[in-house]
Amino acid sequence: MSALLAQVHLSARRAMRQRGELAVRVAFYALILVIFSALWSAATKANGGSIAGYTAHSLLWYVAAAEGSVIATKPRMIEAIGWDISSGAIVTEMLRPASVVGLRLAAELGEALVRLVASLAVGGVIVWLYVGPPPSAAGIALFVPASVLAVGCNLAAQHAFAGAAFWLRDARSTWFLYQKLVFLLGGMLLPLEFLPTGLADVAKALPFAAMAYAPARLASGHVEPWLLAVQAAWLAALLACAGGVFRAGERRLEVVGG
Amino acid sequence: MTVALATLRTAFLEAWSNRRGFWFQIGIMAANDVAWVIFWVLFFRQVGTLKGWDTHKVLLLFAILTTVSGTGLGLFSNSRRLGELIAGGSLDAALALPTNPLTYLLTRRVDTALLGDLAFGPVLFLAAGDPTPERALIFVFGAICGTVVLVGFLVALGSVTLFAGGRGEQADLGFQAILIFASYPIDVFGGLTKLFLFTAVPAAFVTGLPTSLVSSFRWPVALAAVAAAAFFALLAVTTFRIGLRRYSSGALWTRA
Repeated sequence: MSALLAQVHLSARRAMRQRGELAVRVAFYALILVIFSALWSAATKANGGSIAGYTAHSLLWYVAAAEGSVIATKPRMIEAIGWDISSGAIVTEMLRPASVVGLRLAAELGEALVRLVASLAVGGVIVWLYVGPPPSAAGIALFVPASVLAVGCNLAAQHAFAGAAFWLRDARSTWFLYQKLVFLLGGMLLPLEFLPTGLADVAKALPFAAMAYAPARLASGHVEPWLLAVQAAWLAALLACAGGVFRAGERRLEVVGG
Repeated sequence: MTVALATLRTAFLEAWSNRRGFWFQIGIMAANDVAWVIFWVLFFRQVGTLKGWDTHKVLLLFAILTTVSGTGLGLFSNSRRLGELIAGGSLDAALALPTNPLTYLLTRRVDTALLGDLAFGPVLFLAAGDPTPERALIFVFGAICGTVVLVGFLVALGSVTLFAGGRGEQADLGFQAILIFASYPIDVFGGLTKLFLFTAVPAAFVTGLPTSLVSSFRWPVALAAVAAAAFFALLAVTTFRIGLRRYSSGALWTRA
């Protein structure tokens, strides 16, 4: 456990030193917020002030929270992990007396937390200036742990997804598909209430909702604490899945001699 | 021109050599594009119409955007990587060749995944753009103008590395900005943002004007699209040439 915590700490410090990369990512996030602010403000105005139960005020806080929680993780992480697996670079990590996936997750978590804090600080200021304070103090209080759980779920799921490269050899481009699942079924681009009823119910039952919809729903003023329990359950399941995939994959590499 | 076509052909054959990967990446990009189509359909299903935009018109915009990005970033893949190439020393190898280095660099590599966009855009236009021979011609015209603006903008930004150094971060940010702004209906933006989209980040010329032309053709708008394309082409060539005069090699290519 201490090795994992040390890895989180080290990678967080590394992310803080990479100021250029951090600045570009936060600027990109700010850009998206500017666009969505314009889009959703115009859309709610054209619809008498609210759409599917969301006002412009709550929608902009939704978007800031959803985008911020997702943008904290590297967009092409699946590609990078897939490359390390298919090129055999991962073999050197197997020599360490610690879990390969555990150390990788810890390293990514450290970096992601730095990006999460930086993005949400900037996003919070932009949205506050644009539409005013968050709709609910309780919602924002619940959003804080929810955003961390969202990042954890996303990292674990990406590792589980990328682990397919142990068998497929080239699973790198699948990050595109994964990303779109989070965008649409995870509620990053649109609140899940915007989807047709049946599809919305399915999306809420999938793990992607824990990565964007749950924190965003809370930040938009809907005080629904049970969303945290759903996220925690998904985090446990996805961590177990990522661990299982990597253990099986590593055994396969040892047998084949990767 | 012959050299450029031959280089482009070689780049294409290089991508084609891995057929399974080629089709897989094209398929993935098409699936990615379908996800955006779903987003817009769901959005307008809730919103109805927005400042004159509806599902129909936004899908036309998306058809132009994917065609432009497929051409500008798929066929001329290095347009977005120019700053990175300069910083990494890859320019030196191009300078040693008896051909225009900018043309060579732009045609040297194709991005297979983005060729999926190039395939998807025209198909989406045929499916959702009310295609008539006249509209198809305007679509092609608009896509060509948009592509020249996109490539010109990215090359100009990448060439800044020749003056300012760095690893081409400004080009990366510009690339993200222009593609994101070009993905949304221009009329949802107001005042200063709109001015920004016609000047600093010319996303309006990449998709906004071409979409407006296909919807209702007007000569002044068509001339504005041509003028913008000419301006950004000139800006790109001039910035690269002037930057090249100031460039001093890091001789990194000798590592090979």
